[in-house]
Amino acid sequence: MDISIRVAGEAGQGVQSAGELLVRAFAGMGLHVFAIKSYMSRIRGGLNWFDVRIADRELFAGKGAADLLVALTPAALEVLRDQTAGGLILFDGEQADGAAAIPFTQAAKQIGSAVMANSVAAGAVFAVLGYDPQVLCELLRRQYRSKGDEVAEANAACALRGAELAGPHAGRYKAPQPAGAPASVCAGAEAIGLAAATAGVKFVTGYPMTPGTATLQYLAAMADKYGIVVEQAEDEIAAINMVCGAAYAGVPAMTATSGGGFALMAEGLSLAGICELPAVIVIAQRPGPATGLPTRTAQQDLLFALHAGHGEFARAVYAPGTHAECYELTRLALQTAHRFQTPAIVLTDQFLQDAEKNIPPLDDSPRPIDRCIVQAAEGYLRYAVTEDGVSPRAIPGGDAPVVVDSDEHGPDGHLTEDLQIHMDQQDKRMRKLRGLTADARPPSLHGPADAPALLICWGSTYGPCREAVDAMNTVGEPAAMLHFSQVWPLNAEAARAAIGRRDRLIVVEGNATGQFASMLRAAGLIGSAESCLRYDGLPFNADQIVSHVRH
Amino acid sequence: MNLAKADTHPAWCGGCGNFGILKAFNQAVEQAGIDTRTLVLVSGIGQAAKFPHYPAKPANVFNGLHGRALPAATGIKLANHSLRVIVTSGDGDMYGEGGNHFVQAVRRNISVACFVHNNQVYGLTKGQASPTSEVGFQTKLQVHGVIAGAFNPLAIAIIEDASFVARSFSGDVEHLTQMMIEAMKVEGFALLDILQPCVSFNRVNTFKWYKDRVRRIDDGHDPADRAAALELAFKWGGEIPIGVLYRGRRRSFESQLGVLGQGALVDQCARAQAE
Repeated sequence: MDISIRVAGEAGQGVQSAGELLVRAFAGMGLHVFAIKSYMSRIRGGLNWFDVRIADRELFAGKGAADLLVALTPAALEVLRDQTAGGLILFDGEQADGAAAIPFTQAAKQIGSAVMANSVAAGAVFAVLGYDPQVLCELLRRQYRSKGDEVAEANAACALRGAELAGPHAGRYKAPQPAGAPASVCAGAEAIGLAAATAGVKFVTGYPMTPGTATLQYLAAMADKYGIVVEQAEDEIAAINMVCGAAYAGVPAMTATSGGGFALMAEGLSLAGICELPAVIVIAQRPGPATGLPTRTAQQDLLFALHAGHGEFARAVYAPGTHAECYELTRLALQTAHRFQTPAIVLTDQFLQDAEKNIPPLDDSPRPIDRCIVQAAEGYLRYAVTEDGVSPRAIPGGDAPVVVDSDEHGPDGHLTEDLQIHMDQQDKRMRKLRGLTADARPPSLHGPADAPALLICWGSTYGPCREAVDAMNTVGEPAAMLHFSQVWPLNAEAARAAIGRRDRLIVVEGNATGQFASMLRAAGLIGSAESCLRYDGLPFNADQIVSHVRH
Repeated sequence: MNLAKADTHPAWCGGCGNFGILKAFNQAVEQAGIDTRTLVLVSGIGQAAKFPHYPAKPANVFNGLHGRALPAATGIKLANHSLRVIVTSGDGDMYGEGGNHFVQAVRRNISVACFVHNNQVYGLTKGQASPTSEVGFQTKLQVHGVIAGAFNPLAIAIIEDASFVARSFSGDVEHLTQMMIEAMKVEGFALLDILQPCVSFNRVNTFKWYKDRVRRIDDGHDPADRAAALELAFKWGGEIPIGVLYRGRRRSFESQLGVLGQGALVDQCARAQAE
């Protein structure tokens, strides 16, 4: 049992606030919630929507169509009517064809002010779903307490008025019943930020770029609490070089951006490679090339993240599939970067950055990672040649100087053009790949181990694939999925065992060229496989994947 | 092939202005009693950017990317503000490839002393125009001469209100030493633009050309007077003023970060890890 509610209107009209209000109200009731945002790259106007999906079981994705549409503008009604699968449409106005016209704004004006239209709309949604609007009123009172009793009560009254106006449609839906789901809601962007803050990141810098900005802003909000310096750099080139500087000086440092910003960071990434610095970069993908679709989602920068930066050096690339993995893998990326003294990337996207879900609260207590630092004593060599490629790392301020150079350098860090030393250092750096590979996370298998059809996915496509596989198995069509939360280096052994022998392999990913499929093919892990691709800027949903598998 | 011997000595041409700068730097470190354990020399790429490898007393070194010394220095200073951070690089590195970082570093007024070896030409890439090359300067790449106007780093730094703006000359080691000592005392951003000849690629602005033109600024000049400082910054040609042009009064960037009140970030990390 699940229902998807879509609130749609212009940018700046309160779509976001209405959506957030519903998310918090539903989560507070113990329903499972999954919300996704679809918005345009503008400050006012246009058409944005916020999908709030609720169920009595855990949710992992959004749905393509909405069951209930709350249209705040005529454009929203016109454009989204067809995507509202025979469901009810609540329209903010006096009259509309094929929709229940409820004058949210006018009602709000009568009670308090037009900005309270969100509360009227939420009240109407509650009534239509057959939920007690008092639950909503309580939340509104708590939410607006700081603005005074009058505002809080007016909002509560608006919610009741909305429920009253929707009276003729009350209980139209057989809505899911509360299922004891957690009340705490988080977005992917926040899970990444909280993981960084608790792992002891002390320096964060970046240049605003959707959808990476959300993580930077979350960390800025947490900066005083966790003791972090957050600086807006003049550009992404400055950001990555500042991260390298801070990392050299011994502080866990991180930046967040999107594909275009990461493109500017490529040389700095290479710098972290040769200087052997623990630089961590969050890349939240959106469709390109170039500026592309700034506020939409994509998985188009996989091979770019793997290959960016001139020259050859080791790196780790993680791709979280869930909110919990956003947290877990950001921490792991930081630890890996410090253990191996090389860059680590967290590759996510707009869908997961903005997606909100109620999950058990993430641990917000500071638990700093091991920075793996030694004291520099006389005779210290920053780049001592070692068997595993990792040299003991000291930081400036000790008894011996710490010398790093973007030129090739000897064990002492000073630049050299000695070709044998270059070979020794290059081999040393590349030996880290062995350790990174030994540590690589195995892909996770979900569904019957012997299912003839196997969906293969990476990163945020976990959720839609998970729902597709569960739906198919429920109706007796056995399917399994294999999700990669680390895309470089691959744990090939575990992947080979999990893939096994199948009738069908379907690689599901959000790009036009099947980048992950080509990677798996190059690694000899798959031969012929189908690709299920989506690259229109919107996230996958289970229906789309199921329909691909069936046809 | 063993080329190691070639790496241990300065890779500069005989007669290069960098030697005078190195001599002045060694003297400044000695005279000011600088503890090199907490000194970090940051540079980009170019002949001047090799400087951190050569001082008599070895210091910590971050020899990063072309044009990116200042962002790296900013990251280092913010991670551990108890370190003394000096950027030493060329005019192409600092004013060309890193031009925006230069402007933004001055705006931040981060406590970094920035020594720019300004020979008005690209040396390591063999003689192309730099942002400070004069109009008409002919090279193999600017075959009809430079059209773009020369960048004025001093005026920019004064306009953006750096804590310290000075110029010196590699041929006046005594003056240069004093300027370096002054720059290292500054809280906030300190720009020291150092005129130096390029014996290989700049046949116009030679040692003699500079020697004949540089004039120490009168004791009567008040570095707090921004208008007077700007006037000096625009003097070029027959007479080129050297000395302290300007002293701004803004607080340093790092002194305004509340988080650093709990100590240097790197020390906060160490404390948290020990707990």
